[in-house]
Amino acid sequence: MAKMMMMQQSQPSLSLLTSSLSDFNGAKLNLQVQYKRKVQQPKGALYVSASSEKKILIMGGTRFIGIFLSRFLVKEGHQVTLFTRGKSPIAKQLPGESDQDFADFSSKILHLKGDRKDYDFVKSSLSAEGFDVVYDINGREAEEVEPILDALPKLEQYIYCSSAGVYLKSDILPHCEVDAVDPKSRHKGKLETESLLQSKGVNWTSIRPVYIYGPLNYNPVEEWFFHRLKAGRPIPVPNSGIQISQLGHVKDLATAFLAVLGNEKASREIFNISGEKYVTFDGLARACAKAGGFPEPEIVHYNPKEFDFGKKKAFPFRDQHFFASVEKAKHVLGWKPEFDLVDGLTDSYNLDFGRGTFRKEADFTTDDMILSKKLVLQ
Amino acid sequence: MAALSSSSLFFSSKTAIPINNLTLIPTSLQRFSLPSSSSSFSSLSSSSSSSSASLFTTHSLKSSRRSSPQGFTVKAEKKNVLIVNTNSGGHAVIGFYFAKELLSAGHAVTIMTVGEESSDKMKKTPFSRFSEIVSGGGKTVWGNPADVAIVVGGETFDVVLDNNGKDLDTVRPVVDWAKSSGVKQFLFISSAGIYKSTEEPPHVEGDAVKADAGHVGVEKYLAETFANWASFRPQYMIGSGNNKDCEEWFFDRIVRDRPVPIPGSGLQLTNISHVRDLSSMLTSAVSNPEAASCNIFNCVSDRAVTLDGMAKLCAAAAGKTVEIVHYDPKAIGVDAKKAFPFRNMHFYAEPRAAKDILGWESKTNLPEDLKERYEEYVKIGRDKKEMKFELDDKILEALKTPVAA
Repeated sequence: MAKMMMMQQSQPSLSLLTSSLSDFNGAKLNLQVQYKRKVQQPKGALYVSASSEKKILIMGGTRFIGIFLSRFLVKEGHQVTLFTRGKSPIAKQLPGESDQDFADFSSKILHLKGDRKDYDFVKSSLSAEGFDVVYDINGREAEEVEPILDALPKLEQYIYCSSAGVYLKSDILPHCEVDAVDPKSRHKGKLETESLLQSKGVNWTSIRPVYIYGPLNYNPVEEWFFHRLKAGRPIPVPNSGIQISQLGHVKDLATAFLAVLGNEKASREIFNISGEKYVTFDGLARACAKAGGFPEPEIVHYNPKEFDFGKKKAFPFRDQHFFASVEKAKHVLGWKPEFDLVDGLTDSYNLDFGRGTFRKEADFTTDDMILSKKLVLQ
Repeated sequence: MAALSSSSLFFSSKTAIPINNLTLIPTSLQRFSLPSSSSSFSSLSSSSSSSSASLFTTHSLKSSRRSSPQGFTVKAEKKNVLIVNTNSGGHAVIGFYFAKELLSAGHAVTIMTVGEESSDKMKKTPFSRFSEIVSGGGKTVWGNPADVAIVVGGETFDVVLDNNGKDLDTVRPVVDWAKSSGVKQFLFISSAGIYKSTEEPPHVEGDAVKADAGHVGVEKYLAETFANWASFRPQYMIGSGNNKDCEEWFFDRIVRDRPVPIPGSGLQLTNISHVRDLSSMLTSAVSNPEAASCNIFNCVSDRAVTLDGMAKLCAAAAGKTVEIVHYDPKAIGVDAKKAFPFRNMHFYAEPRAAKDILGWESKTNLPEDLKERYEEYVKIGRDKKEMKFELDDKILEALKTPVAA
């Protein structure tokens, strides 16, 4: 079925996936109508999503991004297979997801069980099946891509989840897709994967998210703040608290992954995907409080150099500005994030932490180190 | 209305006329027939102007190279533009670049500077370089905005840019005169300083502004009064001919091997744009009045820089290293506004509307642009100039003594 995926040209920007999102979003979606302004149509940005059913392979897909992406793809009528080791259930009902929707999804989602590091198995199993499109959500190293490409010579598109962590740190911001990357970064495997894809003849697309958040986040991003807010504890923020970061809701990331599927405009292109607005560390603490209905928190600034935290992480973000422009995706794909920060954090809270679920137990060791020093100084 | 007649020309079935400017169709063109189905015509005019504007844009791009069956070609419409320009401050240079860019593009330009030609203020740039406007074919006049009609000698204009007023009292006479004398497009230089501070940067068009800000009053009045208006909100600028120090503040210290004192953490982000970018955005609005109409544009480049980053870039441009020293103005008892030329906070906007609506592109490249600026800094001998750094010395002295617990 041909569906208009993205913005109608002459209307205020509204994601047209509202109906699918609200299916497993318990919280009422706050549709953001843009302030009245006339938007010049990006040339040719209007496109129709892949109308034909595709045979899609997702490397991973049971942890976070893939959970939402696989549901969107199945709803769109594609045949979706998850390649995983089988350690987690292939289909698990989401908070807010109706029984009907879950039954439908779990009856359609397919599983290819294996270890993606077993390159021989990857090659043989993939070539036996044949897939039209691969979404590589959990790839880390370039060598993991080779067997997949070898197995699928007729692959229509290789869609890769990279990371904005590849950008070289800069005093000039935001990071844009054309900017310098850091070959020595912690994410150099992602960079090498992008380079490999570029060197091959395959039609590839790379998505660079920033910090991803949303229900079921396994990275303690919003959870870190929620633990402290719930415990009524002050929030320790390193240095000035004006460092600017950026969060992107997982569902918006999933819609971006959808937007590039079968899209000529995405061919051999890189897109930053995250929220439209950035946020300071202090601002994020306050936004989390709003989202969870907590009173405004006490924020305590400290100098990390004065402490030895050992292996523990005292704060969930890099202590620097880190944010990327998503204007390319907006202009080229017509994609737009649905969630603003407080709405998105509220969605996460309502469907996850607020229901008593979280991934990592609260650990206030580093907080206590910081707070006791502050007390001594007073 | 001119807009309606232009849409009729487009959807006339037989003739295809290349049109770059939508609002000013010479009467000679209006002899072409209206499309037979007036219902399609009216549905076009009632559709949102975004779709019609873009349809026109697409059409004109395709057909700009061919002439109509009658061999008639419309060139880009020449406009008569009036710039009401401030006589001092950081914005003065905007009018200078805009005037020159318009003249190069073939428009007629009058720049009216507030005050008197004989004033001491005119000895500073950009005014001291107004000969460049005159030799480009532009007119320069001086006077009081309240007397604009007289100052321009009764001349009428297609476009007016007010690059002077910061409040309604100052701008209203110009707006009112413009409306009554048939000006079709009114542009206003506002300020990104009117945005309410936020913990979720950047400032984006449509974000909340300080209701009591003078520029806000002007924007409101324009929206109520003028059919085709646009407001531009700039931040800091660099560029030859600037009336106010920007990068020079850093160069002054760097060339004299003095530390650069920066309040706060130095991580504060701000927009420092080459004034060429501001000028090109304004020119883009003049070339695309339909698209620009009734819009606010953040008039800045598309990258921000940290205060520390700016110091480092200036040093690199000068081929030197820099020692940055951070301080807390309150703790030292120094007025940060006097000690430092930029706001001591994030002051960061993005030019999203200009990119979305005008298809505008930023060309500012700070590392490159600052090299050019440094060359001029040295050329005019400012690196050798005797200078005092009283506030700097006060700050550095205070930092030597341990802060009381």
